[in-house]
Formats: sequence, structure tokens, C-alpha cells
Amino acid sequence: MLFPKHTQGLGRLCRLAAALGAASLFSGCYWLDSLNGPQSTFDPNGPVSRHQQDLFYVTCWVCLVIFVLVGGALAIAMFRFRAKEDEAMSEEPPAQGHGNPMIEISLIGVSVLALVIIAVPTFREIWYTYDVPEAEAANAYEITATGEQWWFKFDYVNETAKTVDPTGKAGTMMLSTANELVVPAGRPIKVNLRTVDVIHSFWIPKLAGKVDMIPNRGNHLWFEAEKPGYYWGQCAEFCGESHALMRFRVIALSPRDFNDWLSNQMDTARRAQETAGAAPAKAQFASYKTFKTNEIGFTDRYETSPLDAWREQQKAPADGEDVALINKGRELFNSKTCSTCHTVRGDGYFGTVGPDLTHVGARSTIAAGLLENNRDEIHRWIHNPNSVKPGNTMWVKGYLANNIKLTADDENALVNYLESLK
Amino acid sequence: MTTAVATIDHHHDPTTTTGIPNKKLLMWAFLASDCMFFGCLISTHLIYRLHPPPGTPPAREVFSIELTSFSTFILLMSSLMMALAVNAIQKGNLKSLRWSLLTTIFFGCIFLGCQVFEFTNFVHEKHLTITNSILGTTFFTLTGTHGLHVLIGVIWLTGMLIYSFTGRLQEKDAIDVEMMGLYWHFVDIVWIVIFTAVYLLEYI
Amino acid sequence: MEALAKSDFIAKEEKAAKPFVLWRPSAKTGLISWLTTIDHKRIGFLYGASGLLFFIVGGIEALLIRLQLMVPNNTLLTSAQYNEMFTMHGTTMIFLVVMPIGAAFFNFIMPLQIGARDVAFPRLNAFSFWTFAVGAIILNLGWFMKDGAPDAGWFGYAPLTTRTFSPSHAIDMWVMGLQLLGVASIAAALNFIVTIINMRAPGMTMMRLPVFTWMTLFTSFLIVLSFPAITIALIEIMMDRLFGTNFFEVSNGGLPILWQHLFWVFGHPEVYILILPAMGIISEILPTFARKPLFGYPIVVFSGASIGFLGFGVWSHHMFTTGMGTAATAAFAFMTMAIAVPTGVKMFNWIGTLWGGHLRMRTPMMFAIGFLWMFMIGGLSGIMHAAAPADAQQHGSYFVVAHFHYVLIGGSLFALFAGIHYWFPLMFGRKVSEFWGKLSFWVIFIGFNVTFFPMHFLGLEGMPRRTFTYDSNMGWNTGNFWATMGAITLGVGVAIYFITLIYTYYKGERTIKDPWDARTQEWSLPNPPPEYNYAVIPTVHARDSWWYTKRHLDEYKKETSDHLKDDEGHGGIHMPFQSIYPFFAGCGIFIASVGIAIVDFADPAKYPGFWGPKVATTIVGGAIMFISVVLWAIEGNDGYHLHLNPDGSVRGEDHSHAKAH
Repeated sequence: MLFPKHTQGLGRLCRLAAALGAASLFSGCYWLDSLNGPQSTFDPNGPVSRHQQDLFYVTCWVCLVIFVLVGGALAIAMFRFRAKEDEAMSEEPPAQGHGNPMIEISLIGVSVLALVIIAVPTFREIWYTYDVPEAEAANAYEITATGEQWWFKFDYVNETAKTVDPTGKAGTMMLSTANELVVPAGRPIKVNLRTVDVIHSFWIPKLAGKVDMIPNRGNHLWFEAEKPGYYWGQCAEFCGESHALMRFRVIALSPRDFNDWLSNQMDTARRAQETAGAAPAKAQFASYKTFKTNEIGFTDRYETSPLDAWREQQKAPADGEDVALINKGRELFNSKTCSTCHTVRGDGYFGTVGPDLTHVGARSTIAAGLLENNRDEIHRWIHNPNSVKPGNTMWVKGYLANNIKLTADDENALVNYLESLK
Repeated sequence: MTTAVATIDHHHDPTTTTGIPNKKLLMWAFLASDCMFFGCLISTHLIYRLHPPPGTPPAREVFSIELTSFSTFILLMSSLMMALAVNAIQKGNLKSLRWSLLTTIFFGCIFLGCQVFEFTNFVHEKHLTITNSILGTTFFTLTGTHGLHVLIGVIWLTGMLIYSFTGRLQEKDAIDVEMMGLYWHFVDIVWIVIFTAVYLLEYI
Repeated sequence: MEALAKSDFIAKEEKAAKPFVLWRPSAKTGLISWLTTIDHKRIGFLYGASGLLFFIVGGIEALLIRLQLMVPNNTLLTSAQYNEMFTMHGTTMIFLVVMPIGAAFFNFIMPLQIGARDVAFPRLNAFSFWTFAVGAIILNLGWFMKDGAPDAGWFGYAPLTTRTFSPSHAIDMWVMGLQLLGVASIAAALNFIVTIINMRAPGMTMMRLPVFTWMTLFTSFLIVLSFPAITIALIEIMMDRLFGTNFFEVSNGGLPILWQHLFWVFGHPEVYILILPAMGIISEILPTFARKPLFGYPIVVFSGASIGFLGFGVWSHHMFTTGMGTAATAAFAFMTMAIAVPTGVKMFNWIGTLWGGHLRMRTPMMFAIGFLWMFMIGGLSGIMHAAAPADAQQHGSYFVVAHFHYVLIGGSLFALFAGIHYWFPLMFGRKVSEFWGKLSFWVIFIGFNVTFFPMHFLGLEGMPRRTFTYDSNMGWNTGNFWATMGAITLGVGVAIYFITLIYTYYKGERTIKDPWDARTQEWSLPNPPPEYNYAVIPTVHARDSWWYTKRHLDEYKKETSDHLKDDEGHGGIHMPFQSIYPFFAGCGIFIASVGIAIVDFADPAKYPGFWGPKVATTIVGGAIMFISVVLWAIEGNDGYHLHLNPDGSVRGEDHSHAKAH
């Protein structure tokens, strides 16, 4: 085979050459920022995406060779047989040859051969990428991802999280998060793909190609992150008005980090404590930043080292929290009907329409991977969700349907409450 | 006119390249297309038959195979009458043509009547409607589309019957009847497929 | 037999004056002449003109899309507007631009190529056009309504198109419009099939047909066999939306995947419906300007047939990411690779045609060779998609956008542009200026590549299609910026092309007959061709029949005078009467479609029972259509006879209501 599995040296060389070759089709690669952007398929970080990329290079090479040969013949024909303009009409026409069956048949044979070169690895990878290899199946970690307009829900089907039911008794429920899929690195992850409304598609370019989430159809995919990292993903099937804003992240952690994260997630929602000595945070609504429509919701700390930024996000705020304000926020979460749709385990909120917010403060993003999780962005989101994500359910069926009005004080309290849910 | 009658060759049209009359070719091509229409509808029905959602009523409890067998038989007989009509006009026998057309129309109407009865019966007695289950959806759409084809055929045949009295349908126009005949036989054959795939399949 | 053929003309005596409704229009100029025309050349012109008009509409939509994406986090369009833009851009360019311009050539050129005087069913042909026009209008009505234009993507995946997720009438209009376009296409295709099989001039055997006519035939078969699938899918979604059926109603067990299968069973043959005519045009232009016959004619024809045939077995490669399972994916990947072989064969034969020729680089040839290069790139990226696991990364990304624009612009559109330049002298008797023609080619060629080449990389860098915005930190900024620059260049090139075309139509240089020294039969006609096309039906002795005729002129002259006598013996050239009923039927369909798609179901309190504005409008429209069709049948395919002087000029018209052959 041209590309044995995991050929690091040859693979890298080929990748470089292919990238150069393809780019040199047109003079230089001036339009390319880089080939390793956050969603670049040129930078695989797991076996599935690497296999897919290797196959891509096989096809790319075969096609380039065909292009050079056929294009070369075409170029020669164009230049060699070009008539001088003025004699074109008057001169004798060339020999009126009608074709040559032998040439045709041999060319057909060659094309079939070229396709076989593509077909063999294609078939191999179809089976490889379809499901977790048998040898590793026992080690696989299973998650159910559900697409909703326009966010992703992640259910950890084998993890049972603590909760407090409305009567005040302790209970358990399946661990559920949203828009950030935290997984153990080095283990195959099997993702069941579901949807509650229209068709979505689950795509983390650096880890695996996409598979659609289709109603009444049980799809799945698998991937493995080879090392801890922070990966970008996005819905890849048009799913309505805000399809472009339906994004998510995958955070791969070392097994120990993953377990730490898991045990924090299993717990009920964090309650803010008065820290002795620390000054309570001031009311900040006056200082919330205002945003333009469609303005980018990210600062560059996620460009330099996203995983560190994510780790930073896990920590409780260093400066003290205004517990009274947070408690007010918790009340408002109920009185402003947020709790109809959102779950906060331990605070007695059990809505299931929207994302589970039990530990929303510990996520690096809100609004389906669209905005960085900080006070300004939370405020931007709850202040006018429609300006961030047009047509979203929280706006249409929440704010509009229930005629929700938030004062600046309300917003401030809610921001502080949500931020405290680490 | 009589000399012309004697020389009409109903199987070869000298004005076309292949000798097949244009109208006949048009109808064949259209029927190929119509095959795909029914093919898609029948596939839809069969796919949903394989994936019934919970709560789908068993089709056997809804269908009444006796009535449908009867109407199938009637439709088959109408095909026979249609063939006789084509034969009649090719021989220039207008009287026989009129009787055959009339019988075909009559049989077509009986079939439609059975279908109307069946539909009302299903809706009112068996509580199968086009909206309340996927079986109802595919069943009514498929058989309804077929019924629409029969209805168009009946209207077309009626027009021909009228023409046969006004003198616009004569032996030299045999191709018009033959073309109609192709359509009618096709609708008939499709019904046999539907009868097998929708009804008989439930009794295996 | 001879007796019968004659009896039609002699036996008919003048009947009593016809009732007014059966009036047969005979205007040759003015609005009525266009509304009642059944002349395949005029209908072809109407198709072409509408296609070019909608090309401007679709082009503006494309430019707006590109301007929105020029910079990250742009706010030129809202997401709702952007979704309308790309939905209508795709729908317009496929159904209202490439297909009708293709149909324009089928109508105008194909009968001329086979030596016929019209298509087999001229009034049906007019009906096809009017139905097409109605469908096009219905599709675009949303722009002028508060519901807005359709916005679910050109393949409108259920359940996004169900009432639950798209409550407005926009989708109803999309569904209705596409159904009408399907009816129009099927009716036209049936007509072309009969025409090609049955209306060929003496000696024009199937294996002497010009390749463009062959491709017309294959395309027509593809239309006839594939459009039913989308029509049924559209009927199912329409039933869901109007009557609450459960085809795609998820909560009642509906399977949205079924929509995808039905859609792509149509959708993939549709791709070949768009590209086969282009291949036909290229197969005419290359031999003409290389001044030698097409290399391997039979193989080009058979590869066209196998593309058409295999085209029905590859639809699921549009669904590689729907979790079909390993075996199905492998089978469709295999079929997709297989279909590359006949396509590649065509490419080899085109190069073989150029090889050893004397290439004259006129504007049509420039576009044709541009086609070869661009289609090669588009075809090769298509092969890359066939590798299903690699496609999992490319599917739904800008890589796919780049691929199909290389096939559809670099392929179909370049070929159609080449065809317009190539046949313009025949159609209008004027020739497009070489300078402006070549300038438009180069601007279009450069603009096109600058637009779409970077998109390959955008896709591989993870940019999904159909996204109205992207963040500035994704590494997509430069690629998108250049793509927009290219799109503007492309727009300028197309503008030059159009202005040149319009200028040439009115003021262009008049040209001689057969200015390219071409090879096929249509060039034997004076330009523009007379209404009856051939004064004398030609006899064909060889493939490339006009090339042969030009070298056997004595034989040709003798045959012509013999045939002319024959024709006069039959009573002159039979011309069908014009008819207004295809147009009226179209009007009825329009009213009925507005009723079905746009008028709301009535408030039951106001209109008890079934009656209401929706039903009433639909029934009125349906009745108009039905009455038109009945009158169409009653008026019959009567015609009159033309008598020509030996030099081909019209000596007189004989309106004694002779029936058609």
C-alpha cells in the first residue's frame, strides 16, 4: 500500500508534498492563513481522523497524478496543434481520423487501475472508521450526543450524578452536560447520535469526520483523542435559522484529570460561600460591556492555550462572591421561568428543554460554543438572546412566549448566580 | 374512403423514422415515467410497513380482501373490454367500439365506487385516516393516486365515447384509442402490483 | 399507405366557420405571437431568455452571499436572509438557469440537427415552457411577500421543511414551484425522446446522430425517470404540510431519511441532467474548431449512456454521513468510482479530438477548452469524495462547495456559454466580437478560479457550508476574502459577457452562413433559420452530415430538387397552427398553485365545511386548466401548408385546414 497505517515519516512527507503540490496549482498559497486552524482536517489528533486523512492523501495523490498526465496531454494538444489564425479557414483540414479503439481500451484499463488504488484503502477505512475496533471495544467510553436547535446535549450514559429531588430527598440522575464534551484522552469514545428536532451533524474535524443525527434513526460514531487537548466542533448539516451558530467543544483530559472533572460534575450545584476577609464583589451591571451584532465572543486566551484557559475556568473565583446577590439570582432563576427548561441539580430545578446548567460556570463557552464564558458574555446572552442567536428557543418560547422582562438588577443577579455554578 | 380503409396499416406509421406512431412512443415513455412515480409510492409504503411505529393498527384488521378482490377482478375485466375497443376501431367497427368503451367506463366506475366505499368504510368504521397513522398515510396516498389515474382514464374514455358519436373518432384515429389502451392496461397492471404489495402481502 | 398519407390532405373539405373559442391565432410578431407560439426555435429562445434572466437573479444572490462572507462576523445579511439567499441561489441556478438554458439548446438546436421541422408535439412543447415559467414565478414569489423566500436549502431536508419547523408559506412555494418544474421538465423530455427517435431525416441513423442530440436523448431519459422521485417526495411533504399526514412526521414514526433517499434518487441523475448537455455541446465545438471528427464517437456515445445508467446507482454518495452502515457505504463508494470511468473516457476522447487537429482558438473554443480544464478539476475532486471515509471530513464543507461549482460553473456553465457563442450566428445571424468574447472568457476564468479554488482549502480547514458567519479566529479569513474578490471578478466577467451578448443581438456584425465551417446538419440552414427550418428535408449520408454535404455538393443538389418535388406532391410543407391553450393551461396552473401554496386554509367559523378561499382558488385554477386542455384537444393539431419557390422563399400559405400527418 502507498500509505501503511500510521506511517509517520512517509505520511508527513507526503502531506507536505501534497499540500505544496496542491497549493502550487495556483501561484503560491497566499490565501491560506494556516493549515492548522482550530477545525483543520490537516492536523489530526486521533486515529479516526488520521486514517481519514491518510485516505485523503491517497486520493489526493492519485488525482494529482491523473491531473498532471491528462492535463499535460491536454496542454500539449492545445499548444502543439494550434492553427495560425489567418490560414485557419483556407487551409486543408487535417486528417479526418475517427479514433483508435486500442488507445481507448488501454486508457480505460489505466483509469480502472487508478481507481483500484483508491478503492482498496477506501474499503478498509470504511470498516475501520465505522465502529470501535473489537480489540478496544471493552475500553470504550460511551456517550450520547443529542442535537437540538441549536445546541448539543451530552449524556454520560454510565455516570450517575447526585441530585436533590423537590421533596428535599437526595437522589440520582444521569449526568448530562451541554456544548462541551469532556472525554478521557487515549480511550476510544463511542458517541450515540440522536436528535430531538431536525437533522444535525456531529463534526470534530481534528478527531473524526462527521456523522448525521437523524430523527428516528440510531446513528453513532467513534473517535479517540490521542492526547489531552481542546478541540473545536460544529454542526455540519443545515438545521435552520441559526445553524451557523451551533458549535461545541471537545475537551480531552488525562484519565486522572478526567476523573477529577467527573467527580465535580457528579456533585450537586456549588453553593457560593462567604469568604472571610474578602470584600464582596460589587454590583457590576453598569460595567457590562456592550456588543455589536454578531461580534466575536472570544478573547485571545483561547487562541494561545485553550486547554489552560479551560482549566482556569474550573477554579472558583479568587475574589469573594456576593452571596446575597447569588441567592437572589437563584430565586430569579425560578421566578423568571428559567427553571422550566433548565436543570440545576441541587437547587431543585428540573427543566429538560434547555441545557443542564448545574455546572455551567465551569464550562469555557456558553450559547453552544459561541461565546466565551465570562460575565460580559453571560450578560450579553441573557440580556438579549435573539441578538446573539436569532430564533433560539429560549427567546421564542421563553422570553417572548412568557413575556419575560429582566431589569438590570435581575440580569446582574442572574449573571452572578450562573457564574457561581462551577 | 373505403380504399383508404382497406390499406390502413395499424402497426406501421410511414411518417416516422421507426414506423412507431409518435403518440404511441410518447405514451410508452410516459408510462416509463409513471412506473417511477408508482415505484416511489409503493417503496414508501413498503418501507413504512417494515418500520411500523408502535400503535400501528394491523393492516389485516382494516382491509376487507373480499371487496378488493372483487374490484380487482372488475378492473381486469375492464382491461379486456379496452382491448376489445382497440380491436374494434382497428377494424373500423364503430358500434362495437362504443359498446366496448361504455363497458370499460362502466367497469372503471365500479372500481372507483368500490374504492370510495372502501375509503369511507376505513375512515368511519375502522378508524384509519390519512393523519392518524403512517399506515393510513401511505395507504390512502398510494391507492388514492391510483384511483386518480383511473378517474383520469374514465374521463378520457368518456371523451372518446363522445368523439365516436361526433365522427371525430374513426378508423384512421385508431392510434388514439390504442394509446389510451396502453394507459389503461398500465393502470391495471399497477393495480395488480399494488394489490399484491399492499393487500395480499398482509395475508401471507 | 401512400393513399392514406394523401387522403388526409385531399379528403378534408372546408367546414363551417369555427366557434370563437377554437380561433387559431396566426400572428407572427408581437405579444400574441409569443404567447401562442409553438415553433421550437421561439420556445427555445424563451427558455434561453428566461434562463439568462434568472442567471442574473441567481448571480446577485451569489454575490450577496460572498459579500456577507468576505469578512468574519459580518452583518450585511441576517441569518434568515442568508438562508434565503443560498437556498434560492442553489434552486435558481440548477432549476431556473442551467436546466432551461440546456432546454433552450435542446429546443432550438436538436430538431435542426436531426433534420426535423419541429418537435413531435409542438403544443406540448409550448405547455412545457409555460409550466416552467409558472413554476419559476411561484418559486420566486416569496421575495415579494412577508413570508419570505424558501430557506431550507436546495435539497430541503425533512423534517426541517415540515410545518413544525418551517411554518410559513415559503416552503409551500418551494414545494409547489419544484413540482411544476418537474412537470414541465418531464413533458419536455417526453417530447424530445419522441422527436429524436421518430423525427430523424432520412439516413440519419442513430449512430449518425450528432453527439449533442445523443446527450439530449440521454438527458431526456434521465429527466423522465428521475423527476418522478422528487415529485413523489414533494407530494409527500406537501401532504404533510397541507393535510397533516405522517410521511415525515417524526412523532408518528415518519422517517426523514426517506426524504433523502427519494431526493437523491432524483438528485444524482439531476447532476448528469446538468452536465450531459454540456458534454454534448463540447463534443460539437471541439471537432468544429479542431476541424476533425470527434475522436471515438461510438465510445463517447456509449460512455454517455453508461453515465446515465450508472447515475441511478450512486445517489447514496450524497448520504455517506447518514450512517448507512459499512456494506451500503462500500457499495455506493464503489459505484461512484465506477462512474468516473466513462466520465474519464470522455475526457480522453476530447483530448484525442484536439490531438492532430488544427485548433482555431475562437471564443467558443476558449470556453470549451476552459471547460476541459475546469471539469477535470471538478471531476477529480469528485473522485476524492468517492472515498467515503475521507468524504466524512469533506461532506457538507466548503470542499464540496468548491467541487460542485467546478462541475457546475467550470463544467455546465462554461459549456453553455461556449454553446451560446457557438450557435449565436445560427440563431440570430450575428457574430459575437472576438475581442469582447475572449475578454469575458479570461475575466470569468480568472474570477472563477480565484473564487472557488481557495474553497477547497476552506473546506479542509473545517468550514461548513450554509453558515452565514464565522469567527475571525478560525483561520478562514484570507480564503474567504479572496473568494469574495474572485466572485466580484466573476461578476464583472459575466457582466461583460452579457453586455456583449445584448449588444451583438442588436448591433453585432452580420455573419455568413456556417461561419465556423462546422460539421453538423443545422449549419446547412440560412441564419436565422426560417420558421419551417428545412425547405427540403435533407438526406443524411454520414456522421458529420454537413461536413460530408459540403464535399458532395452535386449529389446534394440533385437530392434536394427531387425532395422538393416530393414535398409539393404531398401538398407542401405542413405547418401546425399556433395555439393559445398551452398558455391558458399555464395560467390555470398558476392560479391553482397559488391556491395550494399560498392561500391560507379558511377559518372554519367563517367558511363552514370544506369551502374557503384556498379550495376555491385551487378549483378555479384547476377548472381553467381543465377547460384549456379540453379545448386544446378539441381544436386538434390542424395546420396549414407552405409552398416554397425553388430558391426556398415562401410562395404562399394554404390554410385549408389540413390535418397533421
